[in-house]
Amino acid sequence: MSAFSIEVLLALLGLAIVLAAAFLPAVSQRTLAWTGIAGSVVALLLLCGASHAESSLPAFVAPYYSLDTLSLFYKAFALVITALVLWLIAESDSTLSNYSADGKLGELVGLPLIVCTGMMWMASAKDLVTVFVSLELVTVAFYVLVAYTRKSALSLEAGVKYLILGAAATGVLVFGAAWVYGATGSLSFEGIAKGVQNAAVNKSVLLFGIAFLLAGLGFKVAAAPFHMWVPDVYQGAPTPVTAFLSVGSKASGFIVLTRVIDALLANGSRVTSEVTNLLLISAAITVLLGSLPAIFQTSVKRLLAYSSISHAGFLLLALASRSSARFDITSGGVVAFYLATYLPMTVLAFFVLCVLRRQGIGDSLDELKGLGRRSPLLALLLTIAMASLAGLPLTAGFLGKMLVFVAAVDHGYWGVIGCAVIGAAAGFYYYFKVILAIYTSEGTTEEPVTVSIASKAIATALAAIILILGLYPRPLQKVLAAPAAASVALGK
Amino acid sequence: MSPLEIVIFLPIVASLAIWLGAPARITSITAALINLLIIGGIALGFDGSKLAPGEFAHVSSRVVLENPAISFAVGIDGMSLILALLTTLVTFAAVWQIVAEKDKVFHIASLLISAGALGAFLSTDIFFLYAFHELALIPTFLMIALHGHGDQATRRAVAWKITVYLGLGSLVLLAGLAALVLNLSEGPTLTFDVTALAHKSASLPAATQAWIFFVLLLGFGTLVSLFPMHSWAAPAYATAPTSVAMLHAGVLKKFGLYGLLRIALPLLPLGAQAQWVQQALLLMLLGNILVMGLVTIHQDRLDDMLANSSVMHMGYIFLGIAAGTELALKGAVVLMFAHGVSIALSFALCGRMRNQLGTLEFDKLGGLATHAPLLTVIFAFAAFASIGLPGLANFAGEVMVFLGTFDSKLWSPEKLNALQWTTILSLWGVVISAVYMLRAYRKIFFGTAASGLYMKDPAFSQRVPLVLLAAVLLIVGCCPGTLLDLIKTAWAAAKVAGL
Amino acid sequence: MITLNHYLFVSGALFALGLAGVVVRRNILVIYMCLEMMLSSANLALVAFSRFHLTDGLPDYSAQALVFFTITVAAAEVAVGLAIIVAVYRAKNSIDVESVTKMQG
Repeated sequence: MSAFSIEVLLALLGLAIVLAAAFLPAVSQRTLAWTGIAGSVVALLLLCGASHAESSLPAFVAPYYSLDTLSLFYKAFALVITALVLWLIAESDSTLSNYSADGKLGELVGLPLIVCTGMMWMASAKDLVTVFVSLELVTVAFYVLVAYTRKSALSLEAGVKYLILGAAATGVLVFGAAWVYGATGSLSFEGIAKGVQNAAVNKSVLLFGIAFLLAGLGFKVAAAPFHMWVPDVYQGAPTPVTAFLSVGSKASGFIVLTRVIDALLANGSRVTSEVTNLLLISAAITVLLGSLPAIFQTSVKRLLAYSSISHAGFLLLALASRSSARFDITSGGVVAFYLATYLPMTVLAFFVLCVLRRQGIGDSLDELKGLGRRSPLLALLLTIAMASLAGLPLTAGFLGKMLVFVAAVDHGYWGVIGCAVIGAAAGFYYYFKVILAIYTSEGTTEEPVTVSIASKAIATALAAIILILGLYPRPLQKVLAAPAAASVALGK
Repeated sequence: MSPLEIVIFLPIVASLAIWLGAPARITSITAALINLLIIGGIALGFDGSKLAPGEFAHVSSRVVLENPAISFAVGIDGMSLILALLTTLVTFAAVWQIVAEKDKVFHIASLLISAGALGAFLSTDIFFLYAFHELALIPTFLMIALHGHGDQATRRAVAWKITVYLGLGSLVLLAGLAALVLNLSEGPTLTFDVTALAHKSASLPAATQAWIFFVLLLGFGTLVSLFPMHSWAAPAYATAPTSVAMLHAGVLKKFGLYGLLRIALPLLPLGAQAQWVQQALLLMLLGNILVMGLVTIHQDRLDDMLANSSVMHMGYIFLGIAAGTELALKGAVVLMFAHGVSIALSFALCGRMRNQLGTLEFDKLGGLATHAPLLTVIFAFAAFASIGLPGLANFAGEVMVFLGTFDSKLWSPEKLNALQWTTILSLWGVVISAVYMLRAYRKIFFGTAASGLYMKDPAFSQRVPLVLLAAVLLIVGCCPGTLLDLIKTAWAAAKVAGL
Repeated sequence: MITLNHYLFVSGALFALGLAGVVVRRNILVIYMCLEMMLSSANLALVAFSRFHLTDGLPDYSAQALVFFTITVAAAEVAVGLAIIVAVYRAKNSIDVESVTKMQG
């Protein structure tokens, strides 16, 4: 069985769930959600068992489909986050169905699997055509997911904002792709990598195209100055969808960005300094524009949105700090590692928000007060998630940040490192603000928060993963040293 | 499994057990006692002269990441043994003296801080050395913000201040350590192992060493409240609950000094000798001793005075590091131990008085000598030790530091040089200490209390931590050889290197 | 003789008009039309580049393949987009962007 067929099966399962939700009213939302979870878990197992050789692919996809370490990693990543998001949806079905148009959650349960298919396919993309189609598969499905609870004015508003800005970003992306194609004569990453090394290529045309291409991708990963949509959309979207956006959508944006940057900064590239500077400037302002406004937020969801922007800044800094010749660590590997650590902590934070929402507690900081006594377990889990987001050592979040710092120090990007230090220090402040609120005793109510045993187990497992990866990151070693795709393609 | 790993993780396991519902006091005292016994046992069987410089005993190493090469590696040499001994002693005393109503969180926080300090002192891998120190950040923050003394607004402000200062300091430190690791790794694998990094340190240009050393000095210095990055420390200690103040001021603050001695000095020897780094360090430590000394004199509350004096006394240890001679460095280690014990004892007494009297203002106190004779004697131990009276632990350390500065080969030997002038000015610090300590002693224990508040000696069980710490001060003071034997060979190499 | 530059000029103008429309217009439906215009301008550039990038006397068809994908995807995007706009109209009785500016900061 080839990895490719897993994606086809997953898309079919997604469609089946949507249809079942429409035509089999007897089947409960939870059953459908758990079917989806089971489907993604089975797919993950199949992926582990599937052949990882590119020769196993059917002939009609082989030229457009790569199966290197990074693509396998991002495929597994997509499946894990999809299963977890479906779990969050199952956790909060009672709250969400109050706001959907027909009191049901059919598409909300089915579409994440379609999104997952898109993300998995994107991980294997070798050219801009595949990137475009899979990116749109993800984005269009997200338009629906964000606006799904449309009885809530905020969700609808978030949907419209995401729709307009997302479509604009798509336009910019395709326009940029057109000009890059015009300059290099190729839409494949391999061809682009050859093009940027070719002295005959018109450099200004190329740079014009690159600027638009990176702007379009910058929107997807929430890089400044294309990050303005993030707080509003994250706040308005249903919480599980926000988690999905924050982890899944961001990861798929970054796999594409990794591939594009790998191609643009291939050895001997004539645009190295321009692209690196563009990335560094964007990284610096992304970290600052993410962390500094976060200090003033009173809604936890909005705070996490800004924090997500700030993390994107760190990831951009990692991409800009290209792998040095001295050490066998690739920037794409560091990004993948960072995202792998980012997944459990973000999902855990959103899980707590979902559970609280079900109990009628909103997402403002004031409403978190007293959580330490109402549910010591949730309080501890949220504390671990926040500590990891802040990048405290002995949690997974620290390692990612440290690797980014090390790479940046190696290149001597001191200005950006200064911004990153400010951003990380601000992070201490706003994440600790959440921790302080949790343990502040003057809560409005003492009613204990109830969580099902299964959810407790999954959430505790996530926290354990955060701590274990902080102490023992060895399972991610292979990802960290993953060779850059373009260098493989060019046979270096 | 190395006994050191047990020592590091036992407090964490104990705090988890307490969180899950185990009886708090018994669990934490048991854990602290087991740790004290293990470290004490290691110390008894430890022969400092058998270890070559840079060699560790009871080593164990587990690879957690291959590239960059990070191992959970533990090991113990004379210096880390002394600090581990200090940590386990103070932890035991700190958890014993907890009598608060909500003792559960107090025990958990104390154990976590202790685990962080032990992990930092016993790791031989820079990654974990750095990482463990931060374990204390959240417990300290929450304990000060939620259970500190004073009104809510003040203690929150203080909690934010310490968190932001320590957070920024550790980020600067991280950048410095990253530069260190990048410059000293031999590629293609980045390594964080202290021993492996030492190979290349001789070939690193002096100018590079100097700036990395300076960044590390700023980073570690912030964590030790080196002037002018000191302003977080005094309010934090004055506000923190007693056990947190004892552990933080007594133990955790030594981490920055330990880091300089373990990482910065041996790996960047030329950086430590650079003229401009030396001058900057001397100026900063004079700030600690003289400026903070004068600030301390002007305090009119016992907790503020103790907190400021703790900042001030860091200056002497920095002086030992600046001198860099074998004698001065050994003195610095002894002084780290002595200061840790004496300040922990002072804060324990201070916490007891605050609980019983409700006020710590000198003007309202007095006459305790007749009501609480034991307290008077113990306080005398702490106060006189901190002044540096012969016969108590601090004296040995201070004398070694002062004498050590006079054999530094770094400065011209013909006339009095900058280092020796600093020493001479620092000696005035001893006078300053004597002034405020004796004044505090007289005001609290003699005369009559303006407020009419008096207290009795603590109950028998509560005397244990006080007597224990006082006895340690006396033993080390009378025979400093007990500690010095442990670090017999530690800096023999420093002499060879021409320091 | 119409050269590549002519096509690119028209494409650039279309793109600029579309982007300007997205920024200045207040009606969501009009904004959406402007977005489609941006995609069309990209398509025009792609086809033009493809037509003028001859290999062995034939245009390079990979860019034209992207054009077909763009058209298809744009249609899907319109289907979802219009549904959301209709939902906004039902909820607010207006499709002015001012009706969806509750979240700020």
